[in-house]
Amino acid sequence: MIRPWERWWMAAAVAVLYAFLLAPIVIVVLAALNSGTYLRFPPEGLSLRWFVAFAQSRSFTTSLRFSLKLATLATAASTVVGTMASLWIVRFSGRWRNALRVLFVAPLAVPGILTGIALLIFFYAVGWGNTGFLGLVIGHTLICTPYVFLITSAVLLRFDRTLEEAARNLGAGALRTFWRITLPLIKGGIISGAVFAFVASYDEFNISLLLSGVGMTPLPIQLFDYLRFSFDPTAAVAGTISIGLAFVVVLVTQKLVGLDALYLGGG
Amino acid sequence: MGAPGRDVLGVELVQAGAPRERRLPRHAGRHVLIVPALAVLVVFFVLPYLNLTLISLMTPSHRAPYVRVLTLGNYTTLLRDPFTWQVIWHTLWIGVVTTAVCLVISYPLAYHLARAPRRLRGLFMILVISPLLVGVLIRTYGWMILLQDTGLINQTLRALHLPAAPLMYNNTGVLIGLVHVFVPFMVLSIAGTIQTIDPELEFAARSLGAGAWRTFRRVVLPLSLPGVLAGTVLVFVLTISSYVIPSLLGGFTVLTVPLLVVRTVTELFNWPGGSAFAILFFVITLVVVGLYVRAMGRGAGQLPDQGDDR
Repeated sequence: MIRPWERWWMAAAVAVLYAFLLAPIVIVVLAALNSGTYLRFPPEGLSLRWFVAFAQSRSFTTSLRFSLKLATLATAASTVVGTMASLWIVRFSGRWRNALRVLFVAPLAVPGILTGIALLIFFYAVGWGNTGFLGLVIGHTLICTPYVFLITSAVLLRFDRTLEEAARNLGAGALRTFWRITLPLIKGGIISGAVFAFVASYDEFNISLLLSGVGMTPLPIQLFDYLRFSFDPTAAVAGTISIGLAFVVVLVTQKLVGLDALYLGGG
Repeated sequence: MGAPGRDVLGVELVQAGAPRERRLPRHAGRHVLIVPALAVLVVFFVLPYLNLTLISLMTPSHRAPYVRVLTLGNYTTLLRDPFTWQVIWHTLWIGVVTTAVCLVISYPLAYHLARAPRRLRGLFMILVISPLLVGVLIRTYGWMILLQDTGLINQTLRALHLPAAPLMYNNTGVLIGLVHVFVPFMVLSIAGTIQTIDPELEFAARSLGAGAWRTFRRVVLPLSLPGVLAGTVLVFVLTISSYVIPSLLGGFTVLTVPLLVVRTVTELFNWPGGSAFAILFFVITLVVVGLYVRAMGRGAGQLPDQGDDR
């Protein structure tokens, strides 16, 4: 029914659009691997000199380490908090379900830059003007929790609860049932939520822009300051690391949960 | 957006089968599960936003971030300043253009994704979602390499003896960057609805003699409107509140509300003024989105009347 030329036209359009989507990402990786300062065609040759420059740059390595520390803490906090919340909302929330679900996803729906300003002013108002690191961890946890919540909820909704009942009927206590039955079955969702949270924190910009202080510069903020004055490919190395992380997340999520769980909208 | 069983982002979370749900014995202790999340959200999200609203009513000062004297002055100053309105208009304009271009680009991608064979769909999902997970900053940097005056595109133009195109530090650059960053959101929103449309409907329309365009306009598009609505609202809201892209790709030539708010708060230390501007813009956004959703709802409601030839 669908004519061949329509199919070809569609395929060509889609190919161009995917090329557009992937272009800047491929370009960053090429710039990091290119031996020249400017990317040209044809490229001047492969080289790892920018990776060496990155590893030797004190400001970049310091902020990379800082970002990893921050993302680890935010991930740990948001995974625990988000998983607990999704368990409660999916199973026990009753008539509060919709209101709470809106509240829990709200940090993703409101402008991040506003949340940053609101937190900055709030910390000052309650006398935590110099919370520093703790403030950043709190802000990042706020942004990461919805990801964990959404992904673990999606898995919990597909969960067969008769398995838990069987365990209970065979004499297992509530905690034992949770550790031996529930947790192993929703593990994929939790891991993939945690991985999402880690990347969300690692790449978070808005909150960090407002809450980072002296001596506490996460990598995105360091990059932002750098890119305002220079296009030096050292920044491309940081980008390549981030791109590598993103691919790990996509593959882990696809394998454990299936990316279909991430469809937005509905019909 | 407000349909039962969906959250703000329109993410479909199927209600757990309530009727056949047999619950384990009740324990008050299980409510402990919700306490940490609720505490974090109330203390570090709800309260800060309430506080922001309160601060927008305080008096600015040169010696402290604000003085605890209530005033409406911040709002009247803003409302009377033509510059405020100029920046607001420009921000909304960027939002509308970005959303429209995103919609045009995303629809074919979403259709293709939703109708792809099951085995290939995973691969296409990876292609759509990967850009989403690479930080906005990194993607913007990729565009800087491509768009700057000595960038790849202008190098190519020069090699072809064509005049160089100013693609960065202006609206063009900002729009390219914004469209690129938000296309995946639109694709995911629309693909979700297209997947629920039975392909048989399209085959039926085609076999009854409708062309590709007519089938799209009369069958697929109307049925996918919920996804289009969710996607456009999401992209519009994200676009007008983005900070990184206008500041890096726009240089100092493109001024949007988020840039101005951050500048007011962090450089001028005028917290009440910045808060008032943020709240004002928040309200304007709500009104614009509300009007749009109502107009779309009415438009969708009228479709059956126009479709007498079904």
